[in-house]
Amino acid sequence: MCLKASNLNTIVELSSVTKSYREVAALSGVSLRVEPGVTGLLGPNGSGKSTLIKSLLGLVRTQQGSGSVLGMEWPQRVREIRDQVGYLPEDDCYIAGLNGIESVAFMAHLAGLPATEGLRRAHEICDFCDIGEERYRPVESYSTGMRQKLKFAQALVHDPPFLILDEPTTGLDPDQREAMLRRIRTLYRTHGKSILLSTHILPDVRSVCDQVIMLVGGEVRIIDTLENLSRPAEPTVHIAIYGDSTPLAGRLREDGFSVTEDSDGSLRIAGIDTDQISELWQKAAETGACVRRLTPAMNSLDEIFFHAASETELR
Amino acid sequence: MPVHDLGYRNWEGMRTARILRPIFVARSGVSLVWRRRWLRTMLMLAWLPIIVPAFGIFAFEYSATEPEMRQVVVQVLSGPFQRPDLAQQAISDPAEVRHEVWTMLILTFFRYPQLSAMVLLVGLIAPMLVSYDLRSKAYLLYFSRPLSPTEYILGKAAVVWFFLGMIVTIPALLLYVLGILLSPNLSVIGETWDIPLRILGASVVLLVPTTAVATCYSSSTSESRYASFAWFATWILGFVAYQFLTFMNVRRPPRRRRGRPDWQELDIDFDRYRLLSPYHTLGKVESWVFGLDPTEGSVWPAICLLFIITVVGFWIVRRRIIARLSV
Repeated sequence: MCLKASNLNTIVELSSVTKSYREVAALSGVSLRVEPGVTGLLGPNGSGKSTLIKSLLGLVRTQQGSGSVLGMEWPQRVREIRDQVGYLPEDDCYIAGLNGIESVAFMAHLAGLPATEGLRRAHEICDFCDIGEERYRPVESYSTGMRQKLKFAQALVHDPPFLILDEPTTGLDPDQREAMLRRIRTLYRTHGKSILLSTHILPDVRSVCDQVIMLVGGEVRIIDTLENLSRPAEPTVHIAIYGDSTPLAGRLREDGFSVTEDSDGSLRIAGIDTDQISELWQKAAETGACVRRLTPAMNSLDEIFFHAASETELR
Repeated sequence: MPVHDLGYRNWEGMRTARILRPIFVARSGVSLVWRRRWLRTMLMLAWLPIIVPAFGIFAFEYSATEPEMRQVVVQVLSGPFQRPDLAQQAISDPAEVRHEVWTMLILTFFRYPQLSAMVLLVGLIAPMLVSYDLRSKAYLLYFSRPLSPTEYILGKAAVVWFFLGMIVTIPALLLYVLGILLSPNLSVIGETWDIPLRILGASVVLLVPTTAVATCYSSSTSESRYASFAWFATWILGFVAYQFLTFMNVRRPPRRRRGRPDWQELDIDFDRYRLLSPYHTLGKVESWVFGLDPTEGSVWPAICLLFIITVVGFWIVRRRIIARLSV
């Protein structure tokens, strides 16, 4: 069976998934829907991200819940699901004694690729993942970055329509990180793969994701597109100024604008209509402020993340 | 950098059946173990003892035409094997005792050199099979593919079976083939057709419970040396305990004579403490499989014990793996 993720409306659909480790609830009635594309799975440590991923793959048994993954009933058909999913674990894991190419070929064989074809495909994927001549070295001697690339190659070698990547950029230097994100984008845009990207690195999410799921304390706190999340509740503009922004901020407040100052000295003016923009320019001119940039303000993912996480702590 | 970078390409093709996937686990394990030079040397050395039973079969078949060789066979059967009845029959009608002589030789091969080689080989191979995967968290890679814990265990156990088969089953089958080739005509196959089946049966008795115990130890720790230690300790302590408890009541040792001492004179109960020793328990069942059990006690307690060890051993391995996945 060869599935195309882009042909499906929903990649993952879960309803009321509950998993507890004795008294500790790892997932509490998680219901979510992952659409084709790149989805960021965010959450603080211990929020249940890894448990959710392992549950999807049937590696841990949930106490309750149902759903579907790639149109297959979950959790009844987890083994068929695993056949169609590429998984990059967060943990540093490798098969001791094998070299890089053997590791990738072995994973291809386990996924059902015939012997010769598996080896050919492993070489092709190693090239794609930029694992050069190191592929002939034992995996024990690999650096953290190389191991990340190797795990990525292992996840990808059987050409799954859906990839689950758990912290794929951890331990990568900036160049390699950018290359990894570029590969993720290529896989989605050019090859129609759907990707669930679990990470703590918010710029990575901003860089590649279309949709964001935020888990906090085993519950889904946010699930929306990045575009919707970034849009403020009311129209807001962001003004960056050369020099001191205090006179302009004071003047705007006097005139009834809702102004907040960011840590870098820039201003956010909320509840502003587009026809009031010229008024802003005028006030800036009057106070002698030199406007460097004036753009529609977007919610920062960091703020959303911290806000959602702190809400739970307050509870 | 490849000469011509193809980038990412989709793959479409027929996948192999899921039932074959444990074979890939086994194949990878065999290839990893095979890389160790000491193992290859050991495998070669483990074949050396085949010379003795091979010479025995050769001597027996040759004795039909050579009276001098017949005397040697008679002496061996009466002496080390303590079967004067068989020696008498071998003089009058060698064909009549062929089956028994062959099975005795093959059982001796199984029972003494190969059982010891098996203990050594399993002790060096099996402890690393699961413990390395636990240490390097490789189980996350295995189980991200459609592989069940049972299939994983089967694949790992098959690695041990492969190497044990190479030093136990294949040489024993070759001994049988040698016997056929040396025999006067092919009608011997009709007389001895059950011997290959007995060899396979005895191999299963030897391979399966030992693999269960060894993988159980291996799955109990991420340090393979502890598993190796536990494995050798089980055999040595069991052997010593059996020998001590069985012979501690023999106040007066038998008088030194040529050949083996006559234990029947001393009325020793060889079966009472047998279940303490894996070596003697396996020996009892193997002898029974070959139809040559020399002791009086029932074989069923030994069979039940091996069965329980197998089931419990593999169950523990499975539990350990599932427990690792759950965290």
